[in-house]
Amino acid sequence: MVFNSIPYLVFLPLMVLVFYLTPHRFRWIPLLAGSCLFYMWFVPKYILILLITIIIDYSAGILMERYSDQPKRKKAFFVTSITSTLLVLFIFKYLGFINDNVVWLCQSLGLDVRTSVKIILPIGLSFHTFQSMSYVIEVYRGNQRAERHFGYYALYVMFFPQLVTGPIERPGNLLRQLHEEKQFSADHLTRGLRLILFGFFIKMVVADNLGVYVDQVYADPQAYNSWSVWLAMVFYSFQIYGDFFGYSTIALGSALLMGFSISDNFRTPYLSKNIAEFWHRWHISLSTWFRDYVYIPMGGSRVKFGRWAWNILVVFVLSGIWHGANWTFLLWGLAHGVLHIIEKVLRRNERPTTHWLVEGLRTVKTFLLVTLFWVFFRATDFGNMKDVFQAAVSQFGEGKSLEVDPKLWGFLGLFVLSDLLLYNKRFDSWCQGKPAIVRWGIYVVLVFCTIAFSCVENFPFIYFQF
Amino acid sequence: MKRGIIILLGITVALSGMNWVYAKWFYHKDLMTHSDMVSMSWKVAEDSLQLVYLGESSNKTYAYWDQDQRKISEMVADGLPGLRCGDITKEASHAEIYYYLLKNIPEDNCVETVVVTMNLRSFGPYWIYSSLETALQKQLVLMKGYPPLMGRALLAFKDYPIHTTNEWNQLADKEFKHAKLEFPYPFPFETAQAWNYDFAVKGVKDAEGNRDQAMTELTSHFVKNYAFQIHDDNPRVKDFDRIVKLCEKRGWKLVFNLMAENVDKAETLVGPDLVFLMRENAKYLEARYGAKGVVVVNNLERVRDEHFLDKGWPTEHYDEIGRKIIANQVIDGVSKKILY
Repeated sequence: MVFNSIPYLVFLPLMVLVFYLTPHRFRWIPLLAGSCLFYMWFVPKYILILLITIIIDYSAGILMERYSDQPKRKKAFFVTSITSTLLVLFIFKYLGFINDNVVWLCQSLGLDVRTSVKIILPIGLSFHTFQSMSYVIEVYRGNQRAERHFGYYALYVMFFPQLVTGPIERPGNLLRQLHEEKQFSADHLTRGLRLILFGFFIKMVVADNLGVYVDQVYADPQAYNSWSVWLAMVFYSFQIYGDFFGYSTIALGSALLMGFSISDNFRTPYLSKNIAEFWHRWHISLSTWFRDYVYIPMGGSRVKFGRWAWNILVVFVLSGIWHGANWTFLLWGLAHGVLHIIEKVLRRNERPTTHWLVEGLRTVKTFLLVTLFWVFFRATDFGNMKDVFQAAVSQFGEGKSLEVDPKLWGFLGLFVLSDLLLYNKRFDSWCQGKPAIVRWGIYVVLVFCTIAFSCVENFPFIYFQF
Repeated sequence: MKRGIIILLGITVALSGMNWVYAKWFYHKDLMTHSDMVSMSWKVAEDSLQLVYLGESSNKTYAYWDQDQRKISEMVADGLPGLRCGDITKEASHAEIYYYLLKNIPEDNCVETVVVTMNLRSFGPYWIYSSLETALQKQLVLMKGYPPLMGRALLAFKDYPIHTTNEWNQLADKEFKHAKLEFPYPFPFETAQAWNYDFAVKGVKDAEGNRDQAMTELTSHFVKNYAFQIHDDNPRVKDFDRIVKLCEKRGWKLVFNLMAENVDKAETLVGPDLVFLMRENAKYLEARYGAKGVVVVNNLERVRDEHFLDKGWPTEHYDEIGRKIIANQVIDGVSKKILY
């Protein structure tokens, strides 16, 4: 089920109603059933993969705790669990990619190899496997007690608001909250609805409408002049942000309706002054996952410079490949990693300043670099990437111009304005202090724009494919 | 309680206001952008048409060698000189589309007679679950008669079936696999899929006894397009029923123009069993709608193989002679059963 669909608009209020009408100790049942229904709306049979992962990690958690005084056995359960989860990810996400590359390599060497692997990626696989792994790691480290109730553990992995595109929750936050008794609160209801409404606006009005133009240019970059290609590149920066931020905001709002507070995934990332800050503000749940479970165990920053740079590169390449089994994602991750290292070196000699102009220029520089890197991410392959870059620098006087609907500039302006206003704040909290007339005025505008100006083309959430 | 009532009242007022604003300044443009076929319905009233012919590609497809390249509807119009006739032609249309096209004809119109194309293949799974349906159903959302803002909300939240071509094919295959075929005599296959499989395995042989792959594939297309039985629960039947009710309500006389199919080819490629099913389906439709007072012009076997334009796929695209045969039948039906 996707958030911006009629079935979800029916499902969510029913779910909330049933949740509050059910006594606390039985609430996990409708919530789990609803989450299963939500997931099975896509491809029902893929719930079996989820079930297998859940059973393995649930059992591993209990066994690791039981054998906590026998480090070797504990480690064996830990390794089994992580390996099996990664194996699922490998088979469904990377096997086809590796096969294609091996075939290409063999054919380049003159060998006649023609195997092909066609496996459809279960929706949200990378998200829930990472969430599952974080539980196993936390139990292994002794930071989290193993969950004995299978229903609660299954719900931790499958909680519908964040099941398919995160945020990737930690057991310390979500699993704990699942056990807490949630009381109905008008405040949660209002804030949740505000977030959902804002999320719909960002996704359906801003991101999807931008997507129409981005798709046009990326489908045939050489047909457009360089200005239009640059415009499409900038539009894509806002499209992917709006798409993912919009989805995460709806997820946050949906969870809040039932009293659950899930993690913020974004904090105005395009206002970052360098790449390191960008990654503290973009897809926060994934960045912190890699920080806690890969970067710090590798030594983090408390090592020599060369080793630190290596750690950074490993983390960013892994982050790139996490997004998709394609060289373009790997390159995207690598580019961010390299830039991160370069910035760190340059910052050593930088004079600290808080002058608004310098800070503004740094923000613009970071935005432009991130925008350039998004080309790696958005391009379908290296050929497409090359075409986009080539068209961006060599066709200033030739090719078509993108004819952008004037309304879109208005929506984009509103999105940028909202980012400025919401610097380090969330929309629901920002609204809280406003007079009723202003609040209701905002609601009316958002509802009207979401209905009357949302894109009618079907743009699935970009992160669904991961 | 009082606060709740005020909020509800406020929401109602706000929604009504938004609906008014949207209807006044944005609805018409959205209709033209996302449901442009509605303009064909409006034109019926603008042109003060008395007879409207609703059709799909069969109405306008002609051969480049045809001397007379008129559409079937134009031939009908020329054959009924006393009536102001026109057509609404939309490729890949079917009864549901026709229903909404008719529904959107403005109240202030001169329509007396409606001729609706009835395509036998459109009752089968491969048309019901055609990959063109996503685009067609999307066009219908704003035409369904909801208040403008609600219609736009349904469009925004994608209240239409969104499937990939692969998913649509899977739906059709599922139906093809499970729908039971019933013959009044012993027949070796329970389902059309089993029947099709048998043809695929055995293959059609050429004069020298070798497997003719092109003919085998064409045979498979015929089985897939005609090997089904129409029952009361067929979605197209329900749509035609809605058309009957709508026309009754609006006082329009109704003609269902059952298009000719290439029965000759079906007989040669597949055999009499497939022709039996085609005839049974035509009989069912004629009986069902004849009983409801609709003039059903049954053209099923009126056009011979040589007048079908597409040789590699079953269609209702005819050459000049084929189109004339259909047009004359419609003219005959309208003249004898409606005008007099």
